[in-house]
Amino acid sequence: MIRALHLGKHYGKIIAVHDLSFEVRPGEILGFLGPNGAGKSTTLRILSGFHPPTSGQASIAGLDLLQDSLAARRHLGYLPEQFAAPPEMRTGEYLRYRACLKGLPRRQARQRVAEVAEPLGLMDRLRQPFSALSQGFRQRVGLADALLADPPALLLDEPFRGLDPIQRREFRQRLRDLADEGRAILFSSHVLPEVEAVADRVLVLHRGQTLAEGSCAELLARAQAQTPFRLRWLGDSNLKADLAVAFPQLQVEQADDQSLTFRWHGPKTPADFFSWLALRPEEIMEYRRLDPDLEDLFQTLVEEAEA
Amino acid sequence: MRALLAQLRREIFALAVTPSMYGLLAVWYLLNGLLFFYLLEYSPQVRADLTLLPQYLFGSGLLIWLLLPAFPPLLTLRLLAEERRIGTLEPLLSAPIRDAAVVLAKYIAACVFFLVFWGGVLGLFVGLSWAGGTLDWARVLTGFAGAWLTSLLFLSTGLWASSWSSNLVLAAGGGAALNYLLLFVPALLTPAPGRLGEWAAATNIPTLLDRGFSAGLVDTWALAWFLGLSALFLWLTWIRLVSRRWVP
Repeated sequence: MIRALHLGKHYGKIIAVHDLSFEVRPGEILGFLGPNGAGKSTTLRILSGFHPPTSGQASIAGLDLLQDSLAARRHLGYLPEQFAAPPEMRTGEYLRYRACLKGLPRRQARQRVAEVAEPLGLMDRLRQPFSALSQGFRQRVGLADALLADPPALLLDEPFRGLDPIQRREFRQRLRDLADEGRAILFSSHVLPEVEAVADRVLVLHRGQTLAEGSCAELLARAQAQTPFRLRWLGDSNLKADLAVAFPQLQVEQADDQSLTFRWHGPKTPADFFSWLALRPEEIMEYRRLDPDLEDLFQTLVEEAEA
Repeated sequence: MRALLAQLRREIFALAVTPSMYGLLAVWYLLNGLLFFYLLEYSPQVRADLTLLPQYLFGSGLLIWLLLPAFPPLLTLRLLAEERRIGTLEPLLSAPIRDAAVVLAKYIAACVFFLVFWGGVLGLFVGLSWAGGTLDWARVLTGFAGAWLTSLLFLSTGLWASSWSSNLVLAAGGGAALNYLLLFVPALLTPAPGRLGEWAAATNIPTLLDRGFSAGLVDTWALAWFLGLSALFLWLTWIRLVSRRWVP
């Protein structure tokens, strides 16, 4: 549905996106993850038809964005990173105008606006000027705008931006519902737990290139090897200092009086570690590998790439 | 077509509900009213023959030299520069509407709205006629058409200037500067010998208005010049928008 093939975008000597290929199938949510400047918004702008790629191809519903831009854009709903509407317009007027802009007859536009506004909780806000809405409601207006033409593909750039936790949960559920209706959804975020919570697949971008791609479970399994361990004990002692002497391969990340977060050089705990611990006078309360999250994965991948 | 009409309605609505437009309109009416009554009161030629009033108002007078180049860019600055500034240009240009339709809708809306500006001036003539003044309506209407055509040209240059920046001062200043250049360069070059002087005389806007429209004539060369130059600037605006899609 949404397809990018060897996509590249250069601004002079600056490479914003390089050789990026991926596909989002109907009913799937692909999360774009990356720091600022990773090329997420540039890629979404290319896919929205706003900017052309310098190289490669992009298509929506099989329609090439360069050759058949207008038709491709008819199959697309796009929420830009900084969504804005004319401040002088009321929300309902704006959405009706956008519906007509997307080809709906005026009479049908009114009905369609109600259809998209209702599940987004916007019905009470349709008479308010856009400038009077909170950030959360503005985002909803942006999503409503993207949905007006009932497009099979959605591009959402930082859709969780400015939302409070309750709004985020609602927004996540709405995205899931939209995907379940058969839409292909590509969204970018650097709110990592959001990507983890809603995306079927994740594509990690860094400096315009793919660092990793896969399902959340696959990527988290990959992150497992990189996540730190936590040791917690009771009793005053110099366990920390002794541990550093006994296991020089241990790399401490965080420490306080009775706990330690650290990494082993290598994926496993050394076999003699437990026997060494058993001989200690302190009472060991906890030793476990911390739950990995995409943040760990992201950090590891970026460090690897930069190295 | 549906998208163009939707965009046109949105542009006219936006112009109609923008308070600064009414401020602009008020200043325009005030200055034109003052000019109108100044001519009626202090111009001996107009006092002697009221039928000459359109020539003085719509010809090479203060209105054309000073006011008209400055006002259209103040109206067009919001059409693209403001959209860019507040961030609504990206949603617009990624919607299924052709760039040409966006340019055309914005331009037509500005032209329609500028009719309100000129309507007030025309109203002064109607008022004068009701008060018993004897007017040559052919001259009034052709003079009005000439001034309207000049406005079309200045709106197109203003729209082009508006496409270059998100800075409203630059957009308005750039448009006004271009309009003054279009007025003053041919006027200054008209005395030049040879082809240059001939070309300058043929494109000197106040002269075109004086000898044609405001004298009660429809000058086809002037008509072609105004419409052609307006089309050129609209095309340049379209190029400016569409160029973002060009692959380097």
